[in-house]
Parts: sequence; structure tokens; C-alpha cells
Amino acid sequence: MGSIGSLYRSSVGKKSIMAASGLLLSLFLLTHLLGNSVSFLGRDAFNAYAEKLHSLGGLVYVFEIGLLTLFLIHIITGIILYVENLQARPARYSVNTAEGGRSWGSRTMPYTGVIIIVFIIVHLLNFHFTDKSVPVADLVRGLLSRPPLALFYIVSLLAVALHLSHGAWSLFQSIGFNHDKYNGVLLKGALAFSILVGTVFILIPVLALVSRSFLL
Amino acid sequence: MILDSKVPGGPLAEKWDRHRFACKLINPANKRKFDIIVVGAGLAGASASASLAELGYNVKTFCLQDSPRRGHSIAAQGGINAAKNYQNDGDSIFRLFYDTIKGGDFRAREANVYRLAQVSNNIIDQCVAQGVPFAREYGGQLANRSFGGAQVSRTFYARGQTGQQLLLGAYSALMRQVKKGKVEMLSRREMLDVVVIDGQARGIVTRNMLSGAIETHAAHAVVLATGGYGNVYFLSTNAMGSNVTAAWRAYKRGACFANPCFVQIHPTCIPVHGTYQSKLTLMSESLRNDGRVLVPKNPGDRRPPAEIPENERDYYLENKYPSFGNLVPRDVASRNAKEQCDQGKGVGSTGLAVYLDFSEAINRDGSGVITQKYGNLFHMYEKITAANPMHEPMMIFPAVHYTMGGLWVDYNLMSTIPGLFVLGEANFSDHGANRLGASALMQGLADGYFVIPYTIGNYLATISSSPQDASHQAFKQVADEAAAKIGKLLDIKGKKTVDEIHRELGLLMWDSCGMARNEAGLQQALAKIPAIREEFWQNVAIPGSGLELNQSLERAGRVADFLEFAELMVIDALSRKESCGCHFREESQTEENEAKRDDENYAHVSVWEYNGDNNSPEFHKEPLTFENVQPSQRSYK
Amino acid sequence: MSDIHLTLKIWRQEGPDAPGRLQTYASGPISTDMSFLEMLDVLNERLTGEGEEPVAFDHDCREGICGMCGAVVNGHPHGPEKETTLCQLHMRHFKDGDTLVIEPFRARAFRIEKDLVVDRSGLDKMITAGGFVSVNTGGAPDANAIPIPQKNAEEAMDAAACIGCGACVAACPNASAMLFVAAKVSHLSLLPQGHPERARRALDMVREMDELGFGNCSNERECEAACPKGISIRNIARLNREFLKAAILSDED
Repeated sequence: MGSIGSLYRSSVGKKSIMAASGLLLSLFLLTHLLGNSVSFLGRDAFNAYAEKLHSLGGLVYVFEIGLLTLFLIHIITGIILYVENLQARPARYSVNTAEGGRSWGSRTMPYTGVIIIVFIIVHLLNFHFTDKSVPVADLVRGLLSRPPLALFYIVSLLAVALHLSHGAWSLFQSIGFNHDKYNGVLLKGALAFSILVGTVFILIPVLALVSRSFLL
Repeated sequence: MILDSKVPGGPLAEKWDRHRFACKLINPANKRKFDIIVVGAGLAGASASASLAELGYNVKTFCLQDSPRRGHSIAAQGGINAAKNYQNDGDSIFRLFYDTIKGGDFRAREANVYRLAQVSNNIIDQCVAQGVPFAREYGGQLANRSFGGAQVSRTFYARGQTGQQLLLGAYSALMRQVKKGKVEMLSRREMLDVVVIDGQARGIVTRNMLSGAIETHAAHAVVLATGGYGNVYFLSTNAMGSNVTAAWRAYKRGACFANPCFVQIHPTCIPVHGTYQSKLTLMSESLRNDGRVLVPKNPGDRRPPAEIPENERDYYLENKYPSFGNLVPRDVASRNAKEQCDQGKGVGSTGLAVYLDFSEAINRDGSGVITQKYGNLFHMYEKITAANPMHEPMMIFPAVHYTMGGLWVDYNLMSTIPGLFVLGEANFSDHGANRLGASALMQGLADGYFVIPYTIGNYLATISSSPQDASHQAFKQVADEAAAKIGKLLDIKGKKTVDEIHRELGLLMWDSCGMARNEAGLQQALAKIPAIREEFWQNVAIPGSGLELNQSLERAGRVADFLEFAELMVIDALSRKESCGCHFREESQTEENEAKRDDENYAHVSVWEYNGDNNSPEFHKEPLTFENVQPSQRSYK
Repeated sequence: MSDIHLTLKIWRQEGPDAPGRLQTYASGPISTDMSFLEMLDVLNERLTGEGEEPVAFDHDCREGICGMCGAVVNGHPHGPEKETTLCQLHMRHFKDGDTLVIEPFRARAFRIEKDLVVDRSGLDKMITAGGFVSVNTGGAPDANAIPIPQKNAEEAMDAAACIGCGACVAACPNASAMLFVAAKVSHLSLLPQGHPERARRALDMVREMDELGFGNCSNERECEAACPKGISIRNIARLNREFLKAAILSDED
């Protein structure tokens, strides 16, 4: 059996690791999204949901470690790939033209990635490493009704959506799934997924900013 | 010199078997003591390199492109013949042999052609095993088509890219041996000369096309698989790099040249449309299955084809050859197109084209059927000319395509220099005076996969296996000569570009030694060639130096050899006063203006031996005897 | 037929280690019936006449099959026409007054030899690593002994149509050679003759690709758009499958 080490040394292996970790992170994002959607039901429901999560205790801890590992794998692998790709073409073209599937999403993957890292750190500082006794609804409302932070969230979440618009399709190709029958669905599905994620997440800071009743 | 073809005795069908048994063998442990140089990496060169390396010989393979996957075999579209008889339509080894020797107008050696037909089946097996994706039927069996007027379906094909797929198969076998360390692959190397020591080929001198370094390479035997010389005409369907240099250098070192005037001119090519034109593109012969060849009846008629009424159209092939019509063989179709243009009935901006009209077929079968059959060819035509043959007739004109002549070889494929073997288009052996469609690929692979591996052993067994190196004085001498020639070229610093002079030579050859030849024209050419050569050596402009990548210098070296070689072609054409196959001497025609063969006086191979730069080459005859087929006059009426 | 005039900005570089630059030339009158390479021929004839060194560029068959030609024209490998090699690109696709920036294929693994000529021997090295079926001459079974479904043969042919020009590498934002490797791995894994070595082949070819310094595929789909033979990135997905299967499940390493 081939070792993980040699898999990781290969370009295809690294891409598949990006794909697999990306897929799991996307699934996490989806659950996060569902959780956040509870906020639209009102502050009580949202607080209750947060309480329920906290009550899981050790399980949350395990989950967080797993998530952190996934993020680290995705980030470190991404950085290695980015550096290798830069090195693969030391002299650039004087005219650059895209005629294939190159999109805003694909072309900005490393940059949106960096934005997302910064965002996650800020996000964790604000909502994770904080006083857990404050009801979550108040925390959200309190922080995201501040325009600068809300704006930062909105921009960062747009980056997340852009990142997903390529990643959510690309991961299938990287693990070897490409079929004429499903390609159209996958491409559109990835786009829809990124729009959905972007819209729902962004709705929260927007509502916190403009709504008089959101989470109050 | 006595030319010994070394054709083994016995019945035709047993000759190859007997010969293989008679060939001396080299024991496997000793094979690794022998070094073999292969020049060229097209079908013949790549297949030979791979097969010889598999046997255990140490092979060094050279090509002038950046990669051995680019030999011009790659451009062959149609297919490859084999006598598999998978279609149960009456094919056999003997029939393939007969068709090939008749197609060559009875100017090839019976024994060679029969062997070619015999090994044709092994080639298909070998290629399939390598993963060549031949076309297949629904049930998974190999598909065949009939090609080039053959009455049986014996042609195997991979879309319109058969040459490419076969070459990539041979290339992959070659690269496998590179991995094993049995082949050293040297790309971007141009062979400048062959080194002959004590009458035996012992190595070559090459130029590294990147650094300009002159390099010497020693071996126990040298195999040339350097293709044809069609580019002597400047314009041809050959690749830009195809050249006669390797063969010509070998000739000047003592290898005899056979039938240099036998040049196949393919009738369906895209016409020339400007002086800047660098090459001609072939359109598959299959187009004549449904296209009707025509010109306007009145010379000088310049109306667009759609405005020429039916009664003013001259379907000259159908009128002249009622039974074969548009499907007459390549040489006949080509000559007739030239004849029409000579009468001023040619079309297009240059007047050097005829129409190939599909409208009747489109009306009969519907545009869908025609698109399905020829869509990719029409697409290719449209890419080049911006005209769509579905809406207006194609314009076609003959173009130089393949050279049947080449270095003379015996049944072992060895030239008159012991230890120098010649394979594929570079030799003269199998196609006589005219090559049939889908048999060039067959010959290249037959020579490389299934002939040379046996016959080279027979030679090597007769020489010492002591290690060869390039320290012998002869290597230095030949390398110095090659370097001196390059220096001389660079010192000219004249005014004309290499291409200008090459174009001039090409036009002269096309006019006087092309589709139709006559005494006066050939004599005139013979007088003019030295003048062009003189102009070249006085006035060619080659910028840059010899110690770098210098494409002008590369071309100049090749054109210098073409300028010498052209003279030999003309001499050969003059000496063969009969018409046969591609070689049409206007003095020798029937009352209906067809080629008239003269078996009594010309049933031979014309073999030329170099005799010094200032002397005429010495002429030798290899008589051709036909014990198994009866030479007949071709008729397509 | 009509003539157009173009401004040509061509990459000139004397040798692998020399600095390069874009040099501007007026094309002079160019017939729209010319191919792109004939346009360069015309320029070179003029430069030679003026005692200047002509532009070095690789080319051979000039009918779109040998794979030797190629340059990047205004950012497009082989120029802007789809499924067309540079030698088959005709000047009628350009307009009078256009400016064409002509650059060599760029990648760390493709060293520039001179002007537009690059070293693509890396492509050969990847084939050498495993792009073959290990069968010696002679002893092959009858060609019809193993039936191959027409669909598989056709799909294999789609992949085998690769001409090895390197445009996929030139087009890839990461200078990755995945489409090239994928085409060969697909061709041979779709045919029964290629099956015995399919795991070994995928591992070896990918390893060689990585060692040669080509970049990583990031699924930008620029390669298939630039490919003159229209080879699909479905083949890359197949390579990914073949590789992962081999790396995770097979005994090969």
C-alpha cells in the first residue's frame, strides 16, 4: 500500500487532499449555515440552538480539533501548491488571456484563501474565544451592528463565496469525478452552493446592520 | 561493381523463411557488444531502434526534430495495408503482393514485395499490442476500408491520423528502450556525413543543432531511416525539415542511389496560392470516390464555378476513362490535371488548379451523408482556404508527395557500403515506379520491426565485436570536412536567401522533371542546375554563426545537397526513356497519351554510383525478373 | 485575397541564459491567405536580406499534426482560433492594423533555447517514465484476439490524438502538464493492452511530471481550450482516478 507520504509528495495527491479537505470543510460550512439560519427564527430559538451545541461538551472539543486539523491541512497544502505553481513559471507572459474555464473564482483562489484565514481568526476571536456567558444572539447583534466589522464580514463572506464557486466544482475533478452527464449539474451546483452560502451568511451582518428587530 | 541483390532461392513464398534460417545469429550475450546507430526516428527509424534494442544491441538514435515523435510519418492520413483478410473478401498475401507490384508498374523486386506482404499481418498484431487505437466495429473487431482503388478492404486506420498513431506506437516502444538504457536518444542532431573505414560504415558525423558542435559517433553498423527527398521541389507535402542530406552523403561515400527520378505526385492537394507558400497540404485520395474532377471547357474561362453551365463543364477524367472515371490511379489523375492546366483550362487565381465538385454526390446522397464521410477533410480545407466544399467545388492540384527512389539496398536492406543499412522511404526497394495508397506505413514498419532485426545480425556476425570508438583518424577527417563546409557556407555572405535559391531549383525541377518529362526539358534542366548551384555558392546569405541554433544554416546545408542531388535525378530521368508509373516520358506514350512501358529495355533498377564531383555518375543495372507475375500494360479506359 | 499590415512584437532571446525582450517589427504587406508561419517566413526573408538574424521558431510538418510548432500569440497558445495549431492558423483571422505579441511557450520545464524555440524534452521524459505498453516486437497475438468495444477504442483515440506540442503547459496558469500526462494515461488505460501496467504507469508518469518542475493542476480548464486537438479535461479526471487508485490501493509505489 502506497504511503501517505508519497501521496502527499505528488501533485495529484496534494490536489486530492485539497479536494477531500475542501469537501469536508464545505460540509461543515453547510451545517454552520443551517445553524446560522436558526437566527432568522428569532433570538430565543438561536440562543437555544447555541445552548444545545454547548451542551454537547467533549464532543464539541473533538469536533473543533478535527476542524482545526482540516483547516491546517487545507491551508498548508494550499500554500505549498501556490508556491510550487509560482515556481513552475518563473518568467511570466507579457499578454495574459483566459479562454478556457478560468473564472474570477479560480483565478483568485490563493487570495480569497488568505482573506478567509484572516476572517476565521477574527471570527474566532469575536465569537469563540470570548465570554461564553453572553447569549449568542446578543453577541451577534452587538458585534455585527458595528458598521466596520459588519463590512469586514460582508467582504470576507463574499470571498468565501468566490472561493467556493471554483472549489466546490474543482474538488470533484480533483478526486477524479468528471462525467458528461453530470458536469453541467456539478458546475451549476457549485455556483448555486456558493451563492447560497454567500447569501445566507451575509444576510446576518446585513440584518444586524439594518434591521431594527433582528435577534432582539 | 557487381550489384548482388542477395535474393534467396526457392519458391517466392519460402524465400523469406529460408533466408531467416540462413541468416547468421549472434548469441544474446554477444549482442550487447555491438553498437548500432539509427538515423531518423520516423516509422522505420523508431521501429528499428526499438526492435534492435529489445534484442540487446546498444542503439543510438538521432533525429533532427526536438523529439522523436515528430517524424513526418506522422502526417500519413489514410491507413496501412495488411493481408489479414478479416473481411473475408478474397484478400491474401499473394493478392497484396500482386497489387503492390502491379501498382509499382513492375519496377520493384518480386522477393522484397512478397516479403512486405508477408510481414504486413505481423505489423497489425504488433501495433494493436502496443495500444494503437485502430478503428473498430461495434462488436469490437478491427474495421477495414478499401483504399486507393483496391478491390478488397485491407486498410486499417485510426481516423484520419493513422500515421500519427502508428508512429506514436513505435515512439512509445522506442522510449521504453530509452528508459531501459538500451537506446540513447539524441534529438536536434543532424547527420552531416557517414564515416567509412576499410570499406565498412563505422559511424556518423552530426551537428548538434542547438550548440552547433560537430560530433562524431562510432558504431558497428549504421542504419539510415531518413525519409524521402521530395523537398528537392521546394514545394511538396513533405515536412519542412525533410531532406536528402543523409542519403546524399552516403551516396558520396559509396552507397549507390537507385531510381532517383521516381517521385510520386499526388493528385489531390490544395493548390499553391502565392509565392510565399511554404508547403502543400494533401487532401485524402478518398475524396475522389464522390467528387467529380472538372475544368471549364473554354480556356481562360474565369467565371466562378457556379456560373459555368453544365454544357460548358469538362469532366475530363470521366470522358477520357469511362470505366475508371475519377478513380484512375494517382499518376494518371495528376498528369491529366497538368494537361488541362497546360491548355489554359486551369482555374483559381493562378490557373494551376482543377475543380473537384461534390454537388452531384450531395444531391444524390444528401449533405448529411457527405458531411459524415468527408466532414473533417472539408473542415481542414476550409481552414486553409476559407471556402466550404459543401457550397462550392474544391480546388485541387497535384503535388510532390513520396519518393519511391532511394539508396539501393539488397534483400538485407544493406546498401553498397557494408554495414550501412537503409530503411523506409530512404531506400528504393518496395514500391517500384509508383506507390499504392496505404503501403508507405506498411513498408516503414516492415523494415524496422520485422526485417532489419534479422538481417543486421547476419552482417554483424561477420565483423569483430571489439568496441568501436571515434578515435580513428577517419572520424576527425570527416568531421573536419563537415566543419569546413559549414565555414564555407557562412563565409559566402551573399545577397540571396536560402529559400529564394531553393525555390528557383524547385520550380525548375517541377517544370522539367515533374509530372511529365521530355528529353529537351531534361537537358535544359541539366544545363541550368549547375548555374543555380554556382549562384548558391557565390551569393547565398546566411546570418548568424555556426555555433548556435541557426536555422538558415541548417537549411543551407540541405539545399546545398539538393542542388547536387537534383542533377542525379535529371540524369536518371534522361536515361530512362520509357514511361512507367510516376515517370512519364512524353516520348514514350501510347496513341491515347498513356504511359508506355518498355519492358525489353528498361525492366531494371537504375543504380548510380558516385564517381567524383567532376565526373558523371557511373550507371549500373539491376535487372528485374518476374517469375511469379506477368507484367501487363495498365489500362484504365 | 487581400493584404493586411500588422505590428509584430516578437520575443527575441539569443540563448537560454541571455536576457530576452520583445522587439517590434512592421510586418509589411501580409496576404490573408498566408499561414501564421508563412507570415513569419516572410518576415525572416526580409530580416535575412537586411543582414539581421531571422526569428528562430520550431516547425516541421506545417499541417497541424507533428506538434513541433507553437508560440503564444496575444496570450493564446497557437493563436486565438480554436483547435488550430499555429501552422494551420491563417492570417485572414487578423485585421489590418492589429498588433500581435508573439512569445514562446513559457514554463520552468520548457527552457527557452532561442527566440520562440523552447526545449520540450520534458514531454518525452514523461513518456519514457511509463507512457508505453511493455511489449517486445514479435509474439503479439492476432490483432483481433481481444475485442475492444468501439466506444472504448474511440475514447482512447480521442486521448491518443495528442500531438505533444505543449500548448496545454503554455496555457495553464500553473504551467502544469496534466493534460499531456492525462491523455497518455487515458489512452492506455482505456485499452486492455494497457491494463497490466496501468497502476505503475500512472504513478511513474506523475512522479516524473512533478520532478521536472511542472506546476499543479488547479482545474482552470485553460489547457483544453488551448489544445489544438480538443483533448478534454475528462482525461485529467481519469488520470486522477488512476493515480489515486494506484497510490492508495495498489502494491506499487
